[in-house]
Amino acid sequence: MTILSHWRAWAFLIVTLSAAPAGAQDGQRVTITGEISDTWCTISGLMFARGTAHHQCAIWCALGGIPVSIRDPAGNLYLILKIGDDDESAANPRIARMATHQVTVDGELLERDGVKYLLVDRIADDKGVISMTHEEHGIQPFGN
Amino acid sequence: MLRHMLGVAALLAGIPVTTVRAAEAWNIPYETATILKGRVVDALCHLKGRCTPDCGSGKRQLGLVLADGTFRLVAKSNVDFAGSVRDLIGYCGREIEADGLLIANPAVTVFFVQAVRERPSQPWIPAERFKTDWEARNGKAAEWWRADPEANHIIAEDGPYGIKGLRPK
Repeated sequence: MTILSHWRAWAFLIVTLSAAPAGAQDGQRVTITGEISDTWCTISGLMFARGTAHHQCAIWCALGGIPVSIRDPAGNLYLILKIGDDDESAANPRIARMATHQVTVDGELLERDGVKYLLVDRIADDKGVISMTHEEHGIQPFGN
Repeated sequence: MLRHMLGVAALLAGIPVTTVRAAEAWNIPYETATILKGRVVDALCHLKGRCTPDCGSGKRQLGLVLADGTFRLVAKSNVDFAGSVRDLIGYCGREIEADGLLIANPAVTVFFVQAVRERPSQPWIPAERFKTDWEARNGKAAEWWRADPEANHIIAEDGPYGIKGLRPK
């Protein structure tokens, strides 16, 4: 490698690092177990937003581009920003298909201004939809 | 309705409509009507440094970086069952004003945008771009969500409950 190519490599590195946003941070390694949830319906309280009763609605919201979260048993919401190499977190059919599934994921947790953001590295387990809420709540929100 | 009445009253009083816009309340727990002023960024880029030149081409969640450095994810638009990416992506990297509801739920804090503009001198633009773009691709529909080809494909395969073979009685 010539001196010139060394210089170019360093210049590229400096430019790349300086372009990183000031808010970028390293997170915490976590394993999260919970239900894939529509963030808006969960916090709006406008309907029952869990399990089989809410599966169809959660697909609509995910394809509409509303952020998708994992809700753990304690009620924490972990907002998904990527899964593996797939960094499409808005209207991603792959994520929509997982609506209301019970999953366990490994990833990186970033907490910022009242939100737990989750960068999923891998889905360790996907049990599918296991919460049979339609027996009590029908299909939310319109009944069909 | 309230918004329109306020607008008419403002016009009659000679006040520019743009100065009186206020987000419509939804009576959601922890909501506060507010106007956020900040720079449009993509969340993955801002939080982790994984950036693309165009904020993810409309395929990543977006938010606003406020003057004090606070990052507010903009999660919902004024279209039923739809997020706000379509309303914000055209402003990637630019400062805007967003009128809506800040939902400071203990589990997650997000912003529900109802209208946007770049400068106070400009009219507010309703945050309904998702519907416009969807109809350009799929045609008019009274309820986009029931007419969406991708949604209908998934629901046809997995059923409305998400369990193959389990159907409503």
